[in-house]
Amino acid sequence: MLNRRDFLKLIGLGGVSTGAGFVLKEAMEPPVAKLIPYLVPPEDTVPGVANWYAGLCTQCSAGCGVITKTMEGRAKKIEGNPLHPINRGKLCARGQAGLQVLYNPDRVKGPLKRVGKRGEGEFREVSWEEGLSILSGNLKDLTNRNEAGKLYLLTSALRGHLTSLLVSFMDSFGSSNYFQYELFNNSNLIYANSVTIGSGAIPDYDIANTRLLLSFGADFMGTWLSPVRYARSYGDMRQGRPGVRGRFVQIEPRLSMTGASADEWVPVRPGTEGILALSIAYLIVEERHYRGADAKRWMDMLKRYNPDEVAGEIDISVRKIGELAEEFVEGGPSLAIGGDNLASYDNGIGNLVAVNVLNYLAGSIGHKGGVLLNGKDKTFKRKSVPYAQLTKLGDSALEGDIETLILYNTNPLFTAPSGMKLGASLENIPLIVSLSSFMDETTGMADLILPAHTSLEDWGDDFADHGAGYSVATVMQPAVSPVFDTKGVGDVFLALAASLGPGFKKDFPWRSFGDFLKDAWKKIYRRNRGSGIKERSFEDFWSRLLAAGGWWTPSPKISGAVNLSVGKASSHIPSAAAGFDGDSDKFPFFLTVYSHSAFLDGRGANLPWLQEMPDPMTSVVWGTWVEMNPKTARHLSLKEGDMIRVESPYGEIHAPLYLYPGIRPDTVAVPIGQGHTSYGRYAKERGDNPLAILPPRVDTRTGALALNSTRVRVFKSTRSGKLVKMEGSARELGRGIVQTVSNKEFKKMGKEA
Amino acid sequence: MPGIIDRLSKRLKAYRTPGYYKKYDYHWTMVVDLDKCNGCAACVVACHAENNLPTVGKDECGKSRAFNWIRIERYVEGEYPDVKVKFIPIMCQHCDKARCELGCPVYATYHNQDGLNVQVYNRCVGTYTCATYCPYDVRRFNWFTYKWDEPLDQQLNPDVSVREMGVMEKCTFCIQRIRVAKDKAKDEEREIKDGDVQPACVQSCPTGAMVFGDLNDPNSSVSKLAKSRRTYRLLEKYNTEPSVIYLKRVMDGSSKGHEERHHV
Repeated sequence: MLNRRDFLKLIGLGGVSTGAGFVLKEAMEPPVAKLIPYLVPPEDTVPGVANWYAGLCTQCSAGCGVITKTMEGRAKKIEGNPLHPINRGKLCARGQAGLQVLYNPDRVKGPLKRVGKRGEGEFREVSWEEGLSILSGNLKDLTNRNEAGKLYLLTSALRGHLTSLLVSFMDSFGSSNYFQYELFNNSNLIYANSVTIGSGAIPDYDIANTRLLLSFGADFMGTWLSPVRYARSYGDMRQGRPGVRGRFVQIEPRLSMTGASADEWVPVRPGTEGILALSIAYLIVEERHYRGADAKRWMDMLKRYNPDEVAGEIDISVRKIGELAEEFVEGGPSLAIGGDNLASYDNGIGNLVAVNVLNYLAGSIGHKGGVLLNGKDKTFKRKSVPYAQLTKLGDSALEGDIETLILYNTNPLFTAPSGMKLGASLENIPLIVSLSSFMDETTGMADLILPAHTSLEDWGDDFADHGAGYSVATVMQPAVSPVFDTKGVGDVFLALAASLGPGFKKDFPWRSFGDFLKDAWKKIYRRNRGSGIKERSFEDFWSRLLAAGGWWTPSPKISGAVNLSVGKASSHIPSAAAGFDGDSDKFPFFLTVYSHSAFLDGRGANLPWLQEMPDPMTSVVWGTWVEMNPKTARHLSLKEGDMIRVESPYGEIHAPLYLYPGIRPDTVAVPIGQGHTSYGRYAKERGDNPLAILPPRVDTRTGALALNSTRVRVFKSTRSGKLVKMEGSARELGRGIVQTVSNKEFKKMGKEA
Repeated sequence: MPGIIDRLSKRLKAYRTPGYYKKYDYHWTMVVDLDKCNGCAACVVACHAENNLPTVGKDECGKSRAFNWIRIERYVEGEYPDVKVKFIPIMCQHCDKARCELGCPVYATYHNQDGLNVQVYNRCVGTYTCATYCPYDVRRFNWFTYKWDEPLDQQLNPDVSVREMGVMEKCTFCIQRIRVAKDKAKDEEREIKDGDVQPACVQSCPTGAMVFGDLNDPNSSVSKLAKSRRTYRLLEKYNTEPSVIYLKRVMDGSSKGHEERHHV
C-alpha cells in the first residue's frame, strides 16, 4: 500500500517520469488540471494583487489612454493612464463604462450563421472554421468570377495600424471599396480649417490659457473632439491660474451640458451662429482692433454683417453683439471655437470658417490662449469618414455592385437618417458579414456574424487626430483573455488572407495581429524620432512601450503666422442662415438633435451604468425625452411627462416631454442615442431614435450630414410612456446648496481665493 | 428626567467629541471646487464601477431607489433667456457630528479614528433610521438582493463587499483604497503621502474639481485649499461639521443661494 506521503511524491513525479506516476496522473487528470493553475500560477497572477495593463479607450474617438485593473485574470476597473498626455489620468463616464462592453451579457458569444429570413434574427451557432470558410469561399468565388471589386468593407473611423492592415488586405484582394463612416465626424471642421488657416489637421485649442472663451455650439466637455482633455483645460482656465479666472460665453439655441457651466448663455436662432461670428468680426474691424493692411477690404466684405442689419435675424440685441465684440478684443488672449452643433447645419462649413475669421481678426491664431496649429501627422493617411460615404455605399448596393459587405464597429442602420432607406439597399447585397461583438441593428441584417474581440481583449494602436498639441500614439494590449469565443478583427483578416491561397498569404506572413503590430512598430522604432522611450533593442523598447501605454514626444507646439485673405474667407462664409426643411406655418419649431453625453451616437446605450447615469442636464435615466421651453409648453397646454409626438416632414417619433428652461421657445431638442430596436436587453425599446425623422441633407463640399436641418410640429401622443428623472426640484428654493461669490468678490479675494 | 438627560449627554459627549480623531494620524477630507465642476457625471459612473453598486432599472429608479453614492445635483436659476445653471456633486459628507451615527440602534454606523463615517454592513439590521436622520440624502437601502446578469458579475471589485437585501449603504470615501495605501505605507515604514489615496470619483474627475487628502497634514493639497476664502460646508446651519469642503462657484447675478427664505 502507498502511504499518503508516497502518493503525493508519485503525483509530483508524474509530470516528468513514466510508470506508476504517469498512470496516476492520467487517472487524476481532471482534478490535476484544476489544481495546477493554483500551484503554478501565471507569473503575474497573485490572488488579491491587482495588475494594471495600459491600453486605449475606444468609447469615442478622442484617443485617451487607459489602464485596466485586473485581478485573477479578470478586468475590474478602467482608469485614465496618468502618463498619457491627452487625458492625464482622467476618464469620462463613457470610458469608465468600457468594462461593461467587455462583460456585456448581450455579446455575440461565438460565430453565427443566419438560418431564418434576413433580419428575423434567427441564427445557428457555427465554429470559427466553418464561419471563416463560408467567407473565404465567398471571396474565392469573387476572385474566380473576376469580381473582386464587389467586396466592400465598412468600418468606423479607425486609426492606427489596423487600418493599414485592412487597406492592404483590400488592395491585395483587388477592391478599392473600403469605406469608413462616423455619424459625428470632424470632416466639416477639417475642411473649414484647410481652406482658411491652411492646415487640415485639427488645431489645439488652448482653452486653459485663454481669458475669454467664446464657444459657438461646442459641447467641448461632453462630446466634442476630446472631452476629457478639454474638461481639464476648462478647470485650469477657471481656477488654474492664481488671480485669473477665464470668462466663458456659450452661444447656442439649446443649452448643452458644457454651456451650463458658462458665465453667459446667448440663445441665438438656430443656424445664425456663423452670422453672429461675422457680425462680431465686423465690429472688431470697424473699431480698428484689426490692424492688417487689408483692413479696408475686410471691412467691405463684412459690411453686410453689420449688427444693425443682422441682429434681428440672429434674434439678439445690437448692444449684445457690441458687448461680445468688446469683450473679445479686450485684455486677450481670447478664443472662439465652433463645435458639432455649429457644423451640423447645412451651412456648417461656412459657420466654422466664420469662427476662424473671428479668431484671425482678433489675433487669436498661433498664440498662447488661442488656436495653436498642429502639424499634420504624416504617419497615416486618414480616410474621409462623412455620411456621403454611406450614401455611396447605399447607391452601389442598389446598383448591385456589392456582392459581399463586411462590417466592423459600425451600425449605420441606427446612425443614418431613415430617409436614406439604407435598409432596403442592404437587402440587395447577397452576403453581409458582420464582425460586431453585439447584435446591433445592422448586425441583425447579417448572414454571417464573426464576432470580434472588444478593446480589452485585443491588440491595437491609435494615433489621435488632435493630440496634446503633438503626436500621440497609444498602444492597446489584451488585458484579459477573451470572455467569449471571439477573435481579434486583425486576426480574422489574417486568417482570411491565409485561406485565400499561397500567393495571397505571402503578402501577409504574420501569425497574428499582435505580430503584425509589433512588426509595424519596428518601423517607428527604427525611425527613432525623439520619443520619451529610448532603448538599445527593439524588444526593450516594445515592453516599455506597452508598460507606458504609448509613445509621445512633448515638443514645442507648431504655431506661426497665418495669413487669411479676404478672398479665401469670402468664398466660404455663410451668406444666409441655415436652411430647414418644412414650412414654418405647418412646422413651427426648429429641431435640434444632439449627441447624448453618455451614449454618443448610440453606441453606449447597451451599458447599464450609462443607462442609469442621470443625464447631467435633465437627470433622466433609462429613456429618451423631448426638451421644450416651459413657456412654449404652457402655450400648448402640455405638461412635463406628457407623451409627445414630434413630427417632421420625414416621419414622427414619440417621447415624453421634459420642461427645459435652457432652450429657445421656438426650438425643441431630442438627444441621439436611444431608440434601439435591438442591441441587447439594456438598449432595446427605450424610446424612439430622432435620426429617423431627419432629412438626408448633406453639405455637398464634404458630404457631412446636416443634423439640424428640419422643422417639426408637436402634438400630444396617444402612446404611453414614462419619464423617469432623478431630480426632485430643479430650483434651490433658498436652501443654499450651491453657494456663489460674484466675480467682484472673487477678485477682491485675490490670492486667497 | 434631568438625570437621564445629563447621563445621556455625557455619554454622547464622550462618544462624539468633535475632532477627536485629530490626535490620530489622518483626517480624510475632500475639497470640491464648484467653480471647476461641470456636472459631467464621470464620478457617478466611476463610483458604480469601484464600489459594486447595482443598477436597478427604470422602475426602481422611478421609486428613487437608484444606487448613487455620489450624485450630481443640478440647479437652475432665472427664466429664459437669463438662465443660470449650477452643479454640485453630493456624496456622504462624513460629518464630524453625524446624525446617522446617533440614530443607529445597533452601532452599524460609527465614526472611525480617521474621521470617516463608517458603515458596518453585517451589523446593519435595516431600520432605515440613519437614512431618515441624514440631511444630505446620501444613504441608500438595499430593498432587494441585486443580481448581476452574467458575466457582468465578473467586473465586481473583490476589495468591496457586495451588499444584500436589508442593508444600508453609502459612500465610504473608498476606504478599500485607503486600506491599500495604509498597508503599503506601513510596509515602507512611512506615513501616507499626499496623493497616495484617491477615491474613484476624485481619480476620474476630468476637470480636477475634486481633491482628496489628509487635513491633519498642513502641507496636503486639501489643507491648502481649505484655506481658501471660498469655502463653505453643505447645510452648515445643521451643525453637522462635514468633512467635505466646497469652494463656492464664481457667478454673477446669482441669487447667492445662501439667503434664507423665511417661512410664514
